[in-house]
Amino acid sequence: MKTILRYGVIIVALGAAAPAAADINICVWGTITGPDALVNGMSYGTKDYFEYLNQTQGGIAKNKLNVLLLDGRYKLDEELKIYRRCVDQENAVVVNGWSTGATKALREQINADAVPFVTESFSSEVVNPKGLPFIFMAGPTYEQQILIGLRDLAAKGGKKLVLMHGDNEYGRGPVTVVRQSGDIEKLGLALLDTIEFRFDAQDLTAQLLRVKSRNPDLVYVQSSTPQLLVVLRDAAKVGLSGKLFMGNLYNISPAIPAQLGAAAEGFRAIEAYSDFGSDIPAMKEIKTFAEKNEVQKKDVFYMKGWLKGHAIAAAIENTLKKNGGSVPADIKAFRKTVRDEMESLKDLDDGGITPPLNYADHQGTTQARLAEIKNGTYAPVGEWIQARLR
Amino acid sequence: MKSRHLLLAVAAALFMIAVSLLVGRFEAYMIGAVAVASIGALALNLLIGACGQISLAQGALLGVGAYAAGNFGNAGWDLLALPAAGVTAALTSVLIGLPALRLRGLYFAIASLAAQTILEYLFKTVEPLTKGISGLVIKPMTLLGTPLVTDQAYAALSVVTLLITWLFMVWVMRTNLGRAFLVVRESEIVARGMGIDVARTKLWAFVASGFFVGIAGALMGFTTRLANPEAFGLPLSVDYVAMIIVGGIGSWGGSIIGAAFVVLLPELIQRLGEFLNVPNVLSAMRELAFGLLIILFLIFEPRGLAALLRRLRPVAIATAAALLGRKQSWKPQSASRRRV
Repeated sequence: MKTILRYGVIIVALGAAAPAAADINICVWGTITGPDALVNGMSYGTKDYFEYLNQTQGGIAKNKLNVLLLDGRYKLDEELKIYRRCVDQENAVVVNGWSTGATKALREQINADAVPFVTESFSSEVVNPKGLPFIFMAGPTYEQQILIGLRDLAAKGGKKLVLMHGDNEYGRGPVTVVRQSGDIEKLGLALLDTIEFRFDAQDLTAQLLRVKSRNPDLVYVQSSTPQLLVVLRDAAKVGLSGKLFMGNLYNISPAIPAQLGAAAEGFRAIEAYSDFGSDIPAMKEIKTFAEKNEVQKKDVFYMKGWLKGHAIAAAIENTLKKNGGSVPADIKAFRKTVRDEMESLKDLDDGGITPPLNYADHQGTTQARLAEIKNGTYAPVGEWIQARLR
Repeated sequence: MKSRHLLLAVAAALFMIAVSLLVGRFEAYMIGAVAVASIGALALNLLIGACGQISLAQGALLGVGAYAAGNFGNAGWDLLALPAAGVTAALTSVLIGLPALRLRGLYFAIASLAAQTILEYLFKTVEPLTKGISGLVIKPMTLLGTPLVTDQAYAALSVVTLLITWLFMVWVMRTNLGRAFLVVRESEIVARGMGIDVARTKLWAFVASGFFVGIAGALMGFTTRLANPEAFGLPLSVDYVAMIIVGGIGSWGGSIIGAAFVVLLPELIQRLGEFLNVPNVLSAMRELAFGLLIILFLIFEPRGLAALLRRLRPVAIATAAALLGRKQSWKPQSASRRRV
């Protein structure tokens, strides 16, 4: 009986482990452990921004923010489970999710729940202000990132283009959309070749020899960092310079210059957010936060997280203003108003992480610049480039 | 099967259905997840535990069920999408099982691994049916024209399906075919000597197992509303093998216990981490704890949780009797008697 009682107490204690009632609940899930944990600064940054507001301003309009960070492990079933917990059990007013797959799977559910949902995905399939009014992202889609790279090429007088991508949705999808859009031709560029490779390929010498035979002005690689390491390594092997290659924002990784050394010099990646340590006002906020707290990730992805924090907090703040400074009692009405306020955000200053944010298109920004590896580190080159062709 | 057991099973299922309909969406989702995993684990236990065919293609077969259900469901097949997915997976399972006519034990396990890889590749490339890498978006299942959109409804449906699956497993093991499974598992030479058609027996095991795996995959697909290749990889196959190892190879009850254990353990660790205010530390420990438990079970209780619970039953009964001041009337029962 004692054992039963003991376990009973433990179960009751576990039940009581749910967070105490807070003024405003926000739920964030990322890949704390899992295949893409390398970029989980996106989740830590958002959580830390809300903690920063709690510590420096007592939350938003003196209403404490209760932030729950969960580990989705980049597993669809886990993410779907967490979403239900966030919406139903935690009564989160905003949910910050993670993967493209989960966002796609939850699209109708998010609409039905009418809960503002910020995704880490850059897939154009999940950004649609009319059809998916509750889903927001923070930055240019993969397709727009490619266009930013191509606009830079066109601006510098380049003409000949080769596209490389992995054989998965992340690789193939955006490249296909850009190819079919006609934007390459509109920019006056010639697509010489499109080369697909296995996403787990360990040797791409043959593909890089094919690139060399085409003699392009730019090779845009739509891939993740492990794939890009193989591309740049084998490019050097066949005598191609890193300067010829460009990747998306996930290719801003210290692992690339660290592992490849000279072979990575000149490689450029899309930089949608100012890097950690940049001379911008947001870094002053982060430094203030870091005085009393540990910053888990010190990279560009953490800056994205901080940016999202700015946007979500601004939407909540505007909602509270409309409600006389207090938190709406009805969670459904609260969520709906936060969504509306999120969409209304215009010229929001995020401390210089990006150009001013406009969320009418649910993306915040469709601009980015390029970061080039110089002497083993990424350095921004040039000005912000707008992805949208006017 | 004793009528008492049947009544208990039906009562338990009815209770879980009632609970599913009363609880919130998160709890209903968890009940559904356990039920679906239990169906898959029961089906795998039929193949491995009863017939001795070690398969590592469970994840891909679940995928076949999900994709099939998605296509049939999106085409308006209503509830028939479930059995149709089962039939599709059963046919695929037979194809996977063909090498088993010539291969045994680990050699067949490797062949099934190859099948897993081939199916994963097909999920990515047969775009008209699977929508390739981006995945097939699945509409809600309809029941007599009414779409099922709530987690509570799917949980109840999954529990009903689990009950049917369990009843089938118990029934089939009481038939000549079920007894033939056991003989084939123990020795194919002896089975042939007894006049059992070994090839046919194995293929029936693949058909029956595949059918229920397909239904589990279908329920998975309708619940997640997306079938994509990444969700049906080798790690999922390993999870299912782990379920029957943890629960008990050859034990139907163990399959359900193992499935519940594997599905709920990560959540339990997560909540414990939150309670102890170290959620991210314990989150990282989840995979480690999972692997460690498998090793511990293999070493200390290879017959799984079901056998462990049976061993603990006399202690529990004796404790209860002592507390109630009664004499113990329970008689020990051999654990092996209860296994299929």
